[in-house]
Amino acid sequence: METSNTKDREISLSRTINAPVALVWEVWTKTEHIANWWGPNGFTNTITTMDMVPGGEWNLIMHGPDGTDYKNRSVFKEVIVNKKIVFEHYAPNFIATITFEEQGDKTLLNWHMLFESAELFIQVVKTFKADEGLKQNVDKLEVYLEGLK
Amino acid sequence: MKARRDVYQAIADPTRRAIINMIASQPHNVNAIAEKFDVTRQAISLHIQILTDCGLIKVKQQGRDRVCEAQLQQLSEVSAWVDQYRQHFESKLDAMEQYIETIMSDRSKNKK
Repeated sequence: METSNTKDREISLSRTINAPVALVWEVWTKTEHIANWWGPNGFTNTITTMDMVPGGEWNLIMHGPDGTDYKNRSVFKEVIVNKKIVFEHYAPNFIATITFEEQGDKTLLNWHMLFESAELFIQVVKTFKADEGLKQNVDKLEVYLEGLK
Repeated sequence: MKARRDVYQAIADPTRRAIINMIASQPHNVNAIAEKFDVTRQAISLHIQILTDCGLIKVKQQGRDRVCEAQLQQLSEVSAWVDQYRQHFESKLDAMEQYIETIMSDRSKNKK
């Protein structure tokens, strides 16, 4: 009864970023930049490997505000400079596809995550639901960023 | 151990999702549902029982038929949490935008 419809196990976001595509690509692909914004708000990151070629590994450790470390392992599937990044993330298993479209001085960024199964997706959403602490941290940092403006 | 009965459990199984899809547009009787699936009648009854316990369907006796109706309000709980999860990634994009703005203003200052 399963169809090829993936609506029940994917998340899609898109955003027009007020910056040229080369810069958006740079903050995605250089470790010194991505470490500054990746991961849940309130976390810091240590990137141990980021080998941006097909088959290359991407290993990063997110450090939670309570001192807990979360290891993340992904493997790049496709890397087209200034255009596209596809990586497979493990535990939870999902495929992320990020496309960059030049729009004059701006960049349209599409970010799509496809989970291995609807069961896994529901599990991840449930885990996220359980993690009220994380949500609170997101709120806190948003307030903090507002203050910086 | 008492099994948990919530809307997540209801939709965690592909057959149960298919049953919900089937009855979402119009009520079906239990026999009609069972015929559509390549599993035992007992298995379908169990799925319908779980869906009922989770509050996603209502079974009404109509003459000889037991008719299943979808009660989809419950699903909004799931979509609300999926939205929260989405929001988490939106906030990641916010963080990236903020970071890009900082870089751009630093670089334009350095040029001057």
